[in-house]
This record gives sequence, C-alpha cells and structure tokens, in this order.
Amino acid sequence: MELAGPDPEMGESGDGEEGGRRRRGQGELATEVLTVLHGAPGPVTASWVQEQLGGELAYTTVMTILSRLLAKQAVSRSRVGRAYVWSAAADAAAGLTARRMRRLLDTEPDRDAVLASFVTALTPEDEQLLRSLLNAADPPGSGAGRGGGG
Amino acid sequence: MGFFVFLPLVLPLTSWPIARLAEHHLHPRRAVRLLSWIGVSMAVCSTLALGLLFVVGTAQIPGNPLPDSWSDPEIRTAVPFHEEVGTAAVVGLVTVLTACSRSLRRHLRIRARAQRALAPMPLDSDLVVLPDPEPYAYAVPGVPGRVVVSTAMMDSLDADEQRALLAHERSHLANRHHRYLLAAQLASCVNPFLRPLQKAVGYATERWADEEAAGSVGDRRLTARAVARAALVTRSAVPAPSFAAFAAPGPVPRRVTALLSPALGESWPPPASPAGLAAMVAAAGTAASAVFALNAAVALLLLVKAATPW
Repeated sequence: MELAGPDPEMGESGDGEEGGRRRRGQGELATEVLTVLHGAPGPVTASWVQEQLGGELAYTTVMTILSRLLAKQAVSRSRVGRAYVWSAAADAAAGLTARRMRRLLDTEPDRDAVLASFVTALTPEDEQLLRSLLNAADPPGSGAGRGGGG
Repeated sequence: MGFFVFLPLVLPLTSWPIARLAEHHLHPRRAVRLLSWIGVSMAVCSTLALGLLFVVGTAQIPGNPLPDSWSDPEIRTAVPFHEEVGTAAVVGLVTVLTACSRSLRRHLRIRARAQRALAPMPLDSDLVVLPDPEPYAYAVPGVPGRVVVSTAMMDSLDADEQRALLAHERSHLANRHHRYLLAAQLASCVNPFLRPLQKAVGYATERWADEEAAGSVGDRRLTARAVARAALVTRSAVPAPSFAAFAAPGPVPRRVTALLSPALGESWPPPASPAGLAAMVAAAGTAASAVFALNAAVALLLLVKAATPW
C-alpha cells in the first residue's frame, strides 16, 4: 500500500552508473522493472529482467533497482541454486496501477467520453439539490451519518 | 446542384427538439440508439455535402483532377458557388477532418493508456480496486473490459450501493456505451449543430446504465442513493467548474430524480405527443439530409461526366 504514495517516483538521485540514462530517472526505471516482473510467468532472475528491458541497461543497474525495490518491499526474492529469483509483491501491482491510473486521470481532462465515469463533479447548487433528494428518498436519520462525510 | 447542397449542413438543427425531449420521454436505451443513428447519419450527409462543395471549390486550383472544360461558362452557371463558398468549404472540410482525427486519436490514446495502466493486474476478475485516496469509478473498455474503482469510492458506499455501482459500470461495458459516445463525439466534430445530440447521448448512456443497475440490484431507490453518495464524495475531491453555476440542475441530480420516479416504459411515445413529433421531425430531417446530399452528389457526378470530353 505504501507504494501508492509518491515515494516510488524516488526522489533520490541515481548513482550515475550510466550518465546518459539519468534523464529517464530512477523512478521510471523502477516502474519499468516492476512492470517486467508483473508480466513475468513466475519468479525470474535479474538477467531475465535485463533481457526483457531490451538489454539497454547494465546488469548492475538492474540489480541496483531491484535491491531498492526490495528495500521498499515492492519485490521479493528467493534463492534458487546459486542465483536469486525475483518476483513482484502482490500489493505493488495495485500500487503501480493506481499511480498510472492517477496520472492518466490527471493528464487527460477529456477522458469522460472514453472512460465512462460513475458520476461527474457537482456544482454547489447540484449538491444542495442532491442532499434534499437524498433526504426525501431516505427515511429520516437512516443515512444522515454518511451523506455528510465528504 | 443548387442551394439544396447546403441543407445537409443545417438540417442537424432538426435534431434539437428530440435531443431535448428524449431525456424525459424515451427509455434511455431507445434514446441512445435513436440519437446515435440520427447523429451519425446527419454527420455523414453533412460531410458529403461539404465534400461536394470542396470539389467545386478546388475547381479554381490549377492542376486539380477535374476535367479542363470544368471552367466552361455553362458549367460555371450550373455550379454557382465558385470562389468564396468553395474556399470556405476547403477550410471547413480540413477543419472537420482535423477535429475528427484528433478526437479519434485522443479516444484511442486514452483507451490504450488505461489498458496499459491495468496490465499488471490479474485477469481473474473484471473488477480492479485500486488503492487511491481520491474517489473514482470508471468503466475501461477493451479486451477484456474492466471496472476500475478506487478504495476511497468503495469505502464511501455500503455493500448494497457498491453492487449498484458495479452493475452500472458493467452495463457500460456490456452494452458498449463507449462506441455510442465515440460516434456521437465524432458526429459533433463534423457538424457543431450536432453538439446537443452528443450531450443527450452522453446523458442517456448514464441513464441506461442506471436503469440496468436498478434492474440488477432490484431497487431503484438504492441505485439513486448510490449515485448520490458517490457524487457527494466526488465533489469534495474535485472542485466544481465555476462557470456552471447557473440555471438547470446538472446530470447527477437529474439521474437521481429519474431513479426516484417510476421507470419509463420501453414503448415509443405516441406520434401526436411532443416527443413523438420531435422524433418525426428529426427522422424527416435525417431523410432530407440524405436525399439532398445524394442528389447533389449525383448531380456533380453527371456534371463532371458531361464536362469530360471523352
């Protein structure tokens, strides 16, 4: 759940293994690695992850990212033979998806014609009207505790 | 081809009465289908008319594919609108096609982004609950279609209300509402007079999903409560647009009111009622659009043929 917060975007500056890579940012790389792990058929080795990323990252970079994700409990690892295999933590998938969904909702103001939203924003007048409709619909008292929660 | 070629551009105005009356007099399923068909037909006719004027307009441009005798005096009298109208049509057609392609690209981009965002989630359920403090619920079309609900939205509803919300979103997916929405959106890009139709289609798809949700949970009042509660928590998260602070109630209170009233029948309104008349006016307008657009197309074809020396 922690992953849903801002922290996986990882403010910390990279270690600079590869100068040219830095402009993509550690956060983005971490997201890519997590995506690969989520799409993996099961626990996989770091070199498998490296391959899936197109081989453009150094093995040590992948290892660094995986270790950081491990520290954040976004991934787990276990030993198979002499190597570690890695898999994504279950919660991390939801956290990653939530972040991406939020980014989509924040950057696409015209999304409502594509993604049917359950409700749209209310004007203050609408809100008044809605509260009186709710009161008329509900027997008095039964819903009073929750309607005003917002 | 005379001035009739312009009619398909303005006949979409005949759809205004039904776009306005559909909400209260047509079952939402019928409303969505009828209004989408009218919108798409009128948009096609309007584009055809614009295209014909475009052809006439390009007749002045050197190197156009039209026969050389095109600028003969007889032809010029038969095609009365040369320069200003032709130029306007060229601009109009380019604008329309640009707007349509932009709209289509945005639609595809948002769908792709949403599907990509959901890719890490397991496919064993069509419901995806995401940990997010902002309340939202969306139907994401695609293969498979998914219902995305934030934990904040789930938490603000009780179990029965959650069932109503899920039934509503699943109805969007099952009935492929996004197709109607896209069709109506493209139609209103083609001809701005179809904008009210687009709004009516958007509202009617929500009502359709509300009605199906009410049928599925077996309780209209419960569904109304779910919609109202969800909207009230959403409001606190998203500031309402300031320009909308006048006059008519917004879509959510209207949906709640409709759910608190008895269901509309599936039958068509009688022909003599205002809604029946409005539907007939729109149908007549659509038919007339088609006739005038086709008539102009045939006339232009014959003209080009007659002007061609071989």
